[in-house]
Amino acid sequence: MIGASFYITLCTARNRLRVRLRRLREPRYLLGGIVGAAYLYFTVFARRNGRSSAARRAGRAAAQTPPSMAAMAVAGPALGGMGLLALTALCWILPGSSGLLTFSDAEIQFLFPAPVPRRKLLLHRILRSQLGLLFGSMVVGLMTPTVGGFTRLRVSVATWVVLVTAKVYFAGVSLSRAKLASRQARALRVAWTPIIVLATAVTIVVIALTRAFAGAPASGPVELFARIRDVASQAVVREILWPFVIIVRPIFAEWPSAYLRSLVLAAGVLGATVVWVLQSDQAFEEAAATAAERRAAAGSGERARYRVRSGAWRLPPIGRPEGAFAWKAAVQTIRLVDRRGLIRVVALLFSLTAISVSLGRGSGFAAIVGFFASIGTAMAILIGPQVLRMDMRQDLRHLELLKSWPVAPAAVVRGQLLWPGALITVCAWGLLTIALGMSWAVVARLAWSLRLSAAASAAIVAPALVFAQLTIHNGVALLLPAWVPLGNQRPRGLDAMGQRLIMLGGTWLLLAVASVPGAVAGGIVWFALQWIVGSAALIPAALVATAIVAIEVLLATEALGPAYERIDILAVERAE
Amino acid sequence: MTISVEHFSRTYGDLTAVDDLSFEVASGEIVGLIGPNGAGKTTTLRSLAGILRPSAGRLRIDGHEIVGDALEAKRCLAFMPDEPHLFEYLTVEEHLRLVARLYTVTDFEARVRPLLEELQLNGKEQSLPGELSRGMRQKVIIACGLMRSATTLLFDEPLTGLDPLGIRRMRTTIAARARDGAAILLSSHLLHLVEEVCSRVIIMDRGRKIADGTFAELAAHAELAPAGSSLEQIFLRVTGHDGAA
Repeated sequence: MIGASFYITLCTARNRLRVRLRRLREPRYLLGGIVGAAYLYFTVFARRNGRSSAARRAGRAAAQTPPSMAAMAVAGPALGGMGLLALTALCWILPGSSGLLTFSDAEIQFLFPAPVPRRKLLLHRILRSQLGLLFGSMVVGLMTPTVGGFTRLRVSVATWVVLVTAKVYFAGVSLSRAKLASRQARALRVAWTPIIVLATAVTIVVIALTRAFAGAPASGPVELFARIRDVASQAVVREILWPFVIIVRPIFAEWPSAYLRSLVLAAGVLGATVVWVLQSDQAFEEAAATAAERRAAAGSGERARYRVRSGAWRLPPIGRPEGAFAWKAAVQTIRLVDRRGLIRVVALLFSLTAISVSLGRGSGFAAIVGFFASIGTAMAILIGPQVLRMDMRQDLRHLELLKSWPVAPAAVVRGQLLWPGALITVCAWGLLTIALGMSWAVVARLAWSLRLSAAASAAIVAPALVFAQLTIHNGVALLLPAWVPLGNQRPRGLDAMGQRLIMLGGTWLLLAVASVPGAVAGGIVWFALQWIVGSAALIPAALVATAIVAIEVLLATEALGPAYERIDILAVERAE
Repeated sequence: MTISVEHFSRTYGDLTAVDDLSFEVASGEIVGLIGPNGAGKTTTLRSLAGILRPSAGRLRIDGHEIVGDALEAKRCLAFMPDEPHLFEYLTVEEHLRLVARLYTVTDFEARVRPLLEELQLNGKEQSLPGELSRGMRQKVIIACGLMRSATTLLFDEPLTGLDPLGIRRMRTTIAARARDGAAILLSSHLLHLVEEVCSRVIIMDRGRKIADGTFAELAAHAELAPAGSSLEQIFLRVTGHDGAA
């Protein structure tokens, strides 16, 4: 079976490479390939070369590692170990199941009826995942700053061990989750033991960290890393972190003896993880069978998993067609999102916020939460419309059905935008609220009234930016359908990455252009009112800017109507 | 005439899928559209449904141009495609509700029960498409089409995936809709179904209409086939494949 797995993996990789090279004949892939390659070059190689030459120019003294980086490198294993412990615990809390248990249609058809034990199937899946992990490890190695080629190779190998261990462990978690609801007492004990052990371990480490930092915040990064290292070397904490530190240590170890020794130990932990997962043979049997059934039922290429849940929103028989499209997308969200998982994520966010507030100003924790909430708000507004594709980009698959409906084309376009726009806006508002709540720690120098006005204006502008981007994305889907991956498709490869970059860059460029009239008008309003109402002038300015962008969006949907009418279903089918 | 096709052509790049096609389907008539693969049947049906734009010619549903007066034309027709592409996250009942909303069907509750009964979909109201067989999904598509009182019904291979009982019921359903006054255009490779259900047959080959008439007219046509020929024999003869058979 191992030989067969190697054969499948290598043949797949070879043929995939051939296909990707062959499709470069098409301009959209060639253009995407050029942009993807340029991105890779400028983010990895050029930056690296730039750093090296800068270091050479600046001389040896300047090339020396800054103290904070040196302190982080020393504390690296401890930091990495703690991070891994946190991730290990989060695996149990957050939703999702391991990709190792997701068999392809061909694997189900060929390997499941074959006389192969299920354990070997799992080994096969581990082997199949190696190319992706190796690529990821190589990227990490290449991104490692200011080191030589051989060190990059060592970092790549060490990273690969971490990634394989994490992947196999996550598969084990997915299998163990299935046993949590078991009716057998022994199975329950076995399933709950790792959770209890992990919860205890996390609690002990969190208490140790809290003791180290509560009331005496670190004066800088050097002290911060030093204290973390001290915490990690405390009795009990050291024992708890031991397996996690072992896994990450090769990344930071010196060549040769320390590196090789730590690599052997890390490989030992990986081996133990594999053995633990293989012990879940019965659970794997069930999980694999369930995955196969689900995939067979869902049909080829379908990955999304829907569950019938009452949405408590019954579509009224009369109303605007836009409402019907919004309802349709809302039902999809309700059926796709794991409610328990969502509750866990919200609880986690709420807990972090509550902890940061209760720890007080001195801890710095509130600043971190506030900073990430601000970043999250910006990401939700700027990246959300690219990621959430519950609109025309997804419904191009159903174009045959959609086009036979007696709905005005502009109404179809508007209807497709409604739900994703509303959802992203609500997420952005939630994160913005957290960011505002923590703003006393992030931007303490700014007056409360200014922070409140800025947050309110951001909340007002957010839907305008979101809907404008969604309009652009849907416009591209209608005007250039071959550039848009359908449904849950996620094309891979350098060319696909380049295509996504072109789309993202183009969208932001168009967004910037579309925002100009609103920004100018808003700017005038702000300038006129700020003498009277101060920072609160941001709010009417945002209202004016949003109103102008909203009008633009409405006009754009009307203009896209004819494009929807003209779109040729064959252009979409070819893209599949 | 409920369906009117005048000099309709459709090209894909250099390929002419349908070339100068003209025909009409009257209210209460069931017309079979048959032809070998690539004859242009699905292109014709998709164009009539407003999915594809005609390259030339006029397509009218109940007097409404499918290009110029698309919304009114689409309100009058129901298209049942050969591939049941359903929304994988909507249940059977929700598909019907969605269609009812889009076509402004106000008496949904009164219509839905008999329809589900008629198409043997009872008990499947809360099922997602992923939980249904191919035949069941086909029935859902047909149910969506029959939800409202469309004056024009377009069926593209309506019996694909149906079991024998389903096929029999579907034949009855189609005939009943025609009796109620609907104009029905049905494309199928199942010639015995066409022979049994349709009142008229159009044979297409390589984008062109090569025969049009009632079964009796086609059978009686001495040039086409010997007397007493079946539709299959006529079909093979007019498409030039009788020797191959």
